[in-house]
Amino acid sequence: MDVIWPTIPDFLVGTRNTLFYCLASFPIALVLGMFLALMDGSRIVWLHGPARIFIEVVRGTPILAQIFIIYYGLGALLGLINPSWALLINVWTAGIGTLALNYAAYEAEVYRAGFLSVEQGQAEAALSLGLSPSQNFFHIQLPQAIPLMIPPFVNDFIYLLKDSAIVSVIAGSDLTSVLNSYVRTHASNPLPFFLLAIVLYLVMSLPVSYVAKRLERRLRAAL
Amino acid sequence: MSLDLHYKQEKPPDIARKRNLWPRNRMVGANYLYYILLAAVIGAFGYYLYTYRDLSLLYLPEMIRGALVTLLVSVLSGICAIIFGLLGAFGSLARFRPLRWLTGIYVEVIRGTPLLVQLYLWYYGIRLLLSNIGFDPHDMLFNSMTVLQSNSLVPDSFNIFFYGILGLSFNYGAYLTEVFRTGILSVERGQSEAALSLGLDERQTMRYIILPQAIRSIIPPLTNNFITLIQDSAFLSVIAVIELEYITIGFALPQADSNQKMYVFVLGALLYLVMCYPLSVAARMMERRLTPDHA
Repeated sequence: MDVIWPTIPDFLVGTRNTLFYCLASFPIALVLGMFLALMDGSRIVWLHGPARIFIEVVRGTPILAQIFIIYYGLGALLGLINPSWALLINVWTAGIGTLALNYAAYEAEVYRAGFLSVEQGQAEAALSLGLSPSQNFFHIQLPQAIPLMIPPFVNDFIYLLKDSAIVSVIAGSDLTSVLNSYVRTHASNPLPFFLLAIVLYLVMSLPVSYVAKRLERRLRAAL
Repeated sequence: MSLDLHYKQEKPPDIARKRNLWPRNRMVGANYLYYILLAAVIGAFGYYLYTYRDLSLLYLPEMIRGALVTLLVSVLSGICAIIFGLLGAFGSLARFRPLRWLTGIYVEVIRGTPLLVQLYLWYYGIRLLLSNIGFDPHDMLFNSMTVLQSNSLVPDSFNIFFYGILGLSFNYGAYLTEVFRTGILSVERGQSEAALSLGLDERQTMRYIILPQAIRSIIPPLTNNFITLIQDSAFLSVIAVIELEYITIGFALPQADSNQKMYVFVLGALLYLVMCYPLSVAARMMERRLTPDHA
């Protein structure tokens, strides 16, 4: 136990960095996911084609492979176009970018499910009452779809908290990287550090999952 | 605008067809152009693969061997995860309260911490602890295989595989606990009440009435979890299990030329895609067949 005390500040910095990765990439994932869902639901094949391909590729490859491709590969590609653009790719941007792109694909499915859950009758009634398609979308469908989509979004945020550990393989500075460095140096007695890291992760994720369950219960009661 | 599904249009009535009134999903000229462009992009990707074909000839055999290891690890982890999931589901539905409590803690802790941290824990933490006590899976298997005269079949890295598969299946067991639990609870209460009132005891009810019906709602999330398991087996590469991602990283990072580095990573991702995409297509077809039509 006394082994841990001097290392706690490092672990707290790691926790702060993990939260930073998650809070930075989740909004980007939500916005990108919305555009992706709109593209995917369109009848225009120029839109739903590339969107479908993106979603299938992102969901079919491991996030580990994606982060390596973006960190090592994209830097090289950007460097070909314009040498100063290669400086854009560092651990932070690669991590946040990979997490955002990966989760955008999953959020697109959530948006799609949310909009499909709003009854078709609502849209038909709106259009037959004379509302324009965009009025129908913004005033009828969207307000009814958003409460249905919030519990899956919160669940996805919990998954994001854990998937943020992936940046440790490209030497990011989140909680798992701190844990990794201490476990490598204290190989004879690593268990206290594991305990500390697990407690910190639970402190981050349990409140969110509690909120998610409460929201889900309220939503199910409302239905 | 509506996010409609791409369903097949029915035949329009004669009058609409004559007057060209029916909205049909016709292939417009722009659609043809898109598919031509898509074919061109795929052709360009094929040309990209061809450009670095010496790299693929060099590395592809080893990577395919790694992909087979990935599949083997995923299947073994999947089976163990189903076992853990069933134990967890029955534990969470048990009447013995400490068992429910224990299972709840298992599910919450595992679902609240990253898989990477759990793998590190299994490999760096628990393995060392157990080997201090004297539990060494490799030695145990080696000694028992010596009796069967085939101890050369046991690889030196067996410990890594053992704890890697254990870590993966323990993790996915927690998610599958929730899947099985939801599936079992989704069978209507009336079924179990009728079975019990007809004289079946609890075990018979579970085995003959509830589980066959629960399997229908269990299979879609189960297949999705299995596909994610195949991808998450890539994490085993960080604890030095020699599967596809490990081999890809091992070949790619030493490359001096960044383009070649990117190519090897793309090749690895392509192999994962080849493994996972058919499975996800099959899973979606199965899901569509299993979902009852709500009219």
